Amino acid sequence: MSVVLLDITVVATSLLLAASVGLALYRVVRGPSILDRMIATDVVLASMMCGLGGFMALTGRTDLLPVLIVLAMLGFVGSVSVSRYVSKSDSMTPGAEAGSLSDFTASDWHMNSEDDDTAESNAQWPDDVARGIADVSDGPPGTTVPPEADEAHQESTQPAGADDHDEKLTFDLGEKPAAPGRGRDETGGGRDGS
Amino acid sequence: MVLDIVSAVLILLGGVLSLAAGVGLLRFSDLLSRMHASAKPQVLGLILVAIAIAIQFPTWATMTTLAIIISFQLVTIPVATHMVGRAGYRTKHLRRSMLYRDELAEAVERAEAREIARERRREHGTDENDN
Repeated sequence: MSVVLLDITVVATSLLLAASVGLALYRVVRGPSILDRMIATDVVLASMMCGLGGFMALTGRTDLLPVLIVLAMLGFVGSVSVSRYVSKSDSMTPGAEAGSLSDFTASDWHMNSEDDDTAESNAQWPDDVARGIADVSDGPPGTTVPPEADEAHQESTQPAGADDHDEKLTFDLGEKPAAPGRGRDETGGGRDGS
Repeated sequence: MVLDIVSAVLILLGGVLSLAAGVGLLRFSDLLSRMHASAKPQVLGLILVAIAIAIQFPTWATMTTLAIIISFQLVTIPVATHMVGRAGYRTKHLRRSMLYRDELAEAVERAEAREIARERRREHGTDENDN
């Protein structure tokens, strides 16, 4: 590659990338939410990857190609973890302080509507209860169990094996006396339509 | 010489796309618009720079590694952008006035109506799976 062309390419590309990184850093500083900052950080990372690729193409350092793979993986992991954290912390149910890990799946897979039936919609997803991935303890906010009772219940249902299913359902039945027929019907009703 | 010019132009285009993403981040007023702007250098700019590298060093090792990098980006960038967009939708970081149509809200309404109908059917005891 001729020297003049190399110089022009290096200077122009570095100016463009520096301007891009500067604008993205402005958005990192000014971003109204953490998601805007995450997107701006991704743009900074993409500019770094473009600059590294240009550096490799212009100087012949093709031994730096694994660094590009590492940067790509870094951006993916960062975006996914930050967005998971944001959506988890926002849609946290009132029973989430009880210390159970399964409230993440129950509150994060399904979008809570913002009006007053969030408790009912949490109680209305029988698929999670039937599969055992949702603990019944984070149901309506009025009947949130304290942490020690929650742990005791989990320990009692752990060694049950095949009968674990029925125990959870009867526990669900006892916890919400307003809907007495719900616990019996949950395994059947969860299968259709979904 | 021609290949040198082509690769230099490709690298410059990668820089221009990155600058476009920076300007889009600065000027756009919404999370979804900024996501739209920020995906350009992550996929297109990197593809252009990878083509430039492959033009300069057309060996098998380089080209297979570049193919791995580009396919990895093409797989992971939509996933990450989907996650960010979902988190933004749930935390309501979007301007309703900028949307022509919110298809996700329609889908959520349909799902809620289906749940209500299922609940009503269960209360009346006409569920076919109920015994």
